[in-house]
Amino acid sequence: MVDDIKPDETLDCRGLSCPMPVLKTKKAIGKMKSGQVLEVLGTDPGTKNDMPSFAKRAGHEYLGAKDDEGFTRFYIKVG
Amino acid sequence: MNEQNESVLYDLLRRGYRQVFYENWPIWLGGLLIGIMSVITFAWARPWGVAGGLRNWGDWFFNIVGVYEKAPLSPLISTNSILTLGLLWGAFGSALMSKQFSIRIAPPLELIKGIVGGIFMGVGAAMAGGCNVGGFYTAVSALSMGGIAMMIGLLVGAYVGLRYLYWELEHLPTGQGGQPPSGGKEKGFDWLSVEPIAGAGVFLGALVCAWAYASQAYTRVGGLLLCGIAFGVIIQRTRFCFVRGFRDPFMTGEGEVARAIAISIVISILGFAALKWTGLRAESVYVTQTFWFGSLVGGMVFGFGMVLAGGCGSGSVWRAGEGQVKLILAVACFALSTSLFKALINSSQGLKALMGKRVFLPDYLGYKWTLILFVLIFAAYYLAATWNEETDKFTVEM
Repeated sequence: MVDDIKPDETLDCRGLSCPMPVLKTKKAIGKMKSGQVLEVLGTDPGTKNDMPSFAKRAGHEYLGAKDDEGFTRFYIKVG
Repeated sequence: MNEQNESVLYDLLRRGYRQVFYENWPIWLGGLLIGIMSVITFAWARPWGVAGGLRNWGDWFFNIVGVYEKAPLSPLISTNSILTLGLLWGAFGSALMSKQFSIRIAPPLELIKGIVGGIFMGVGAAMAGGCNVGGFYTAVSALSMGGIAMMIGLLVGAYVGLRYLYWELEHLPTGQGGQPPSGGKEKGFDWLSVEPIAGAGVFLGALVCAWAYASQAYTRVGGLLLCGIAFGVIIQRTRFCFVRGFRDPFMTGEGEVARAIAISIVISILGFAALKWTGLRAESVYVTQTFWFGSLVGGMVFGFGMVLAGGCGSGSVWRAGEGQVKLILAVACFALSTSLFKALINSSQGLKALMGKRVFLPDYLGYKWTLILFVLIFAAYYLAATWNEETDKFTVEM
């Protein structure tokens, strides 16, 4: 369950729209180690489609998302 | 028995609503439906365009404030305006139905990028005789060489724009601490729960408007409003984004949208060819006098602007309908700059001549070879996007 995930890093992309959340995620993951978990906060509805497909293409594991108050938290495990 | 049937019907309707407005539509379906709608719209009255409507609104604004002496065709009657209004209307209604509408305020640098991107797009669209829709998608469908020239320009512009975004990520400390949007939904009343009802009202209003147009003998205009709304719903639900077709192969290597555009445009090309070849529609329609300079250079300027703004002509309009302030600014600046730049081009014979000539390819190759060539070009685009997905040959690292 995504509820139990303890992220190693959190990236705030609230207020940003496509493609900035994906680009910032790509940059943040580049500085992380394999196996670490990145949490991305986002408000753009498009991010819900973009994160899973980005993670899959870039060889990371998309762990899921959960809705919070007015934004969504996405979890990606660095591959 | 009767009650049971009713509950089955209710369940079917509920599932249908969820499928249409909750679940994601695949992007290829968007391409397919846009291609079909493009042909239907042309068969009904005229081809699909977006920038022309924005220019009409810009012209109207500058006439009101006294910059232009001559008044443009009323935005209520102009078919350009109605198509773009329909797109905005459909996207707005669809966002409400999907509970995706909310006013989203972006951080300051993003807002500036919306403004600058909008201005670039306006200038590029004025040069190329349309945006990614009228200058590229519809122009290619209309078998105009300008469309192909703009496609090359868009690819170059998108590449340069992406390079800028990479530079910005390294050098400008933006977005961090971007204001969490208030969204207007967490305090007190739950606005999200009534959005679908408001959305239904928005669509009902559109039907009433189309009926009102028909009753005033503007049936074509009313029909175009509904066509525009169909584009808005399809594009919002599939999040169809032409920018991604040109940018993503360089950015993430993903070719899904490029493939969807290729499928879409081949359908549209065949439909347009059927309408023009048989003489049902004039051959000159959407063959603009912009080959090659206007289309190519306009495409580059537009391509850079759309990556900066994060939305093309159609993409900015539907995202504006979803409440994204950055794109609302982009649309407004697009409308104003395209109106001014078009007025500048029209004021000078030299500039007009510089933009280029009208090149309708069947005049040179005949319909048969033109069609074969155009289908091959987009088959190659489809293939190149897929090949790049496997090899990442075009993908630019950060």
